[in-house]
Amino acid sequence: MIEWITNSFAALQDRVFETAILPLVYATGLGGYAEQAFDWTEIFLIGAIEILLLAIFLGALEKWRPLESHTNSGEKKIDVIYTLINRLGLVPLAIFLLLLPLVDGLDGWMRMQNIIPPKLEDALPFLHDSPFLSFVFYLVILDFVAYWLHRGQHQINVWWALHSLHHSQQQMTFWSDNRNHLVDVVVIDIAFALVALLIGVAPAQFVTLVVAGRVVESLSHANLRVSFGRIGEYLLVSPRFHRVHHAIGLGHEGRSRGCNFAVLFPIWDVLFRTANFENVYPATGVRDQLEGRDYGGGFWAQQVLGVKRMGEALQSPRL
Amino acid sequence: MVFVNWLLNRSFLSLVVLFCSGLVQAEIAVVLNSGEGTVSLIDKASMTETRRINVGKEPHHLMATPDDKFLIVANAASNDLVFLDPLTGEVKRRVDKISDPYQIGFSPDKKWFVSVSIRLDRVDIYNGSDFSLVKRIETPKAPSHVAFSPDSSLAFITLQDSDEIAAIDLKTQTVKWKVKVGRMPAGVWVTADEKYLLVGMTGADYVEVVDWRTQKTVKKISTGKGAHNFLAVGDGRRVFVSNRVSNTVNIIDQSTLAVVDTIPITGGPDCMEITKDGKQLWVTSRWAKKVTVVDLATKKIVKEIPVGKSPHGIYFFTHAARK
Repeated sequence: MIEWITNSFAALQDRVFETAILPLVYATGLGGYAEQAFDWTEIFLIGAIEILLLAIFLGALEKWRPLESHTNSGEKKIDVIYTLINRLGLVPLAIFLLLLPLVDGLDGWMRMQNIIPPKLEDALPFLHDSPFLSFVFYLVILDFVAYWLHRGQHQINVWWALHSLHHSQQQMTFWSDNRNHLVDVVVIDIAFALVALLIGVAPAQFVTLVVAGRVVESLSHANLRVSFGRIGEYLLVSPRFHRVHHAIGLGHEGRSRGCNFAVLFPIWDVLFRTANFENVYPATGVRDQLEGRDYGGGFWAQQVLGVKRMGEALQSPRL
Repeated sequence: MVFVNWLLNRSFLSLVVLFCSGLVQAEIAVVLNSGEGTVSLIDKASMTETRRINVGKEPHHLMATPDDKFLIVANAASNDLVFLDPLTGEVKRRVDKISDPYQIGFSPDKKWFVSVSIRLDRVDIYNGSDFSLVKRIETPKAPSHVAFSPDSSLAFITLQDSDEIAAIDLKTQTVKWKVKVGRMPAGVWVTADEKYLLVGMTGADYVEVVDWRTQKTVKKISTGKGAHNFLAVGDGRRVFVSNRVSNTVNIIDQSTLAVVDTIPITGGPDCMEITKDGKQLWVTSRWAKKVTVVDLATKKIVKEIPVGKSPHGIYFFTHAARK
């Protein structure tokens, strides 16, 4: 079954690439990027299939047993736009092109100093023989990094000014995961690119890691009353666990500026004492929205207001 | 005496074992799946994949050691070389700290091992016997493939994104000259008469013929779009060129510098290998997760063998001559 799926996908990727993408790449004089274009065709197709499956399954679940009924369908539409431009590869492609010279330049400079960046397999040679174990190790490390980056998004005022856009969704659905400020995305991606360089994640591995993470992240934002049970809640971030992170008064306030920062594995919150396992499903949003703060009613308005908030934060004494 | 008898028996036994294993040993084709970090081992007789082994990150190219004892797989993203048993595909050893090895090659005198880093614009020259780094050279954009002058004095490197060929003086480890060619030069081949370089223009639809002594282009041979890589037919006269976009392989006569035949392939033909009897051409179809086997007498595809993601390098232990 798995073989059939992978072979069918490969045939689809070949067809789309050879009939549409490759001629376009050559027509625009970018033939040198044929191999990268082939990889981006995969990212695009995986994204499209993923969105379709999520829309079918999570969409049906949200319709069948919604946690709360939503009144403003416009809010959801904006999140759909964020999801499409992110998961179909548009934003990642732009950021990739932006970061590529930076990362390769740094890597190339290191090679001239006779420094070859390390890889996890240097310390753990058995990973050479097991792509699955290698995948698990990289996933855990990257999730650990994601936890701390996420804490940074909440604790550093300038960064929170951007990241609060993600938390401004008061009608959360599985589409809400990608509502992020573009500058916030760039900062996070730079951090991940550097970590990936330092621990030796191969680009092909990176795609699998990102896709695996995205499914859980969509589920964790879903408008569902779903908890993974006493043990499961410690193993994987659930819609309940992440909803508490988005809750006004719980998720992004207090000494740690919030709780439940984990992206995939709640263990980080347990280890660093930021976990909240209360079985509650509070209202989501940012407190200042209750006082009338506007986070924007459309994609561009949200982006502009995010930059303005960042400007205000830069002028405040506490960064 | 007892010891001598024992030794004789042991040697005899070894010979018997060796002979028998030779009888049962199926000949394999080794294919690098660059997109998933694996090697497909294909039984050549039945044309089916028998095993897939993990080898490292982004294995693109492979070549035998000069003594044919090992097959070297260059893992670009793992920064290492993996040595396989060329008969069984078994991993024998790993050489670390080889920086981003994309394309690799030994100079004909075996003194130098050159590794080309397409991503980082570097060419590394290693000692051919112990793989210690001799010099790392910064180059213009995207050094792609490598070939050597017959006297081992020069390494010719195609520079894919700056549309040039560079000649590196191996004695001084410096760039001796650079010459502008067409768009996206990739594969590079020294003709059998040692006069010219054939350069595959992956960004165009021809093979450029460069007199490397004068650094002048003497001819452009129209092939198919995306002319990419070369392999000798094995008769000292003809050479294959794969055209990755037009989905064809051309045969070029090295003495007349003209296309003499065209073979249709599917899925982006890339690297090639030929059976020792010269009857079959095996080609990795880069975009289609398969190896395409062509009967050269009829020019028909006889089998498409499913392999891993983005198959690139391919190798047989017994193959036609490389000239």
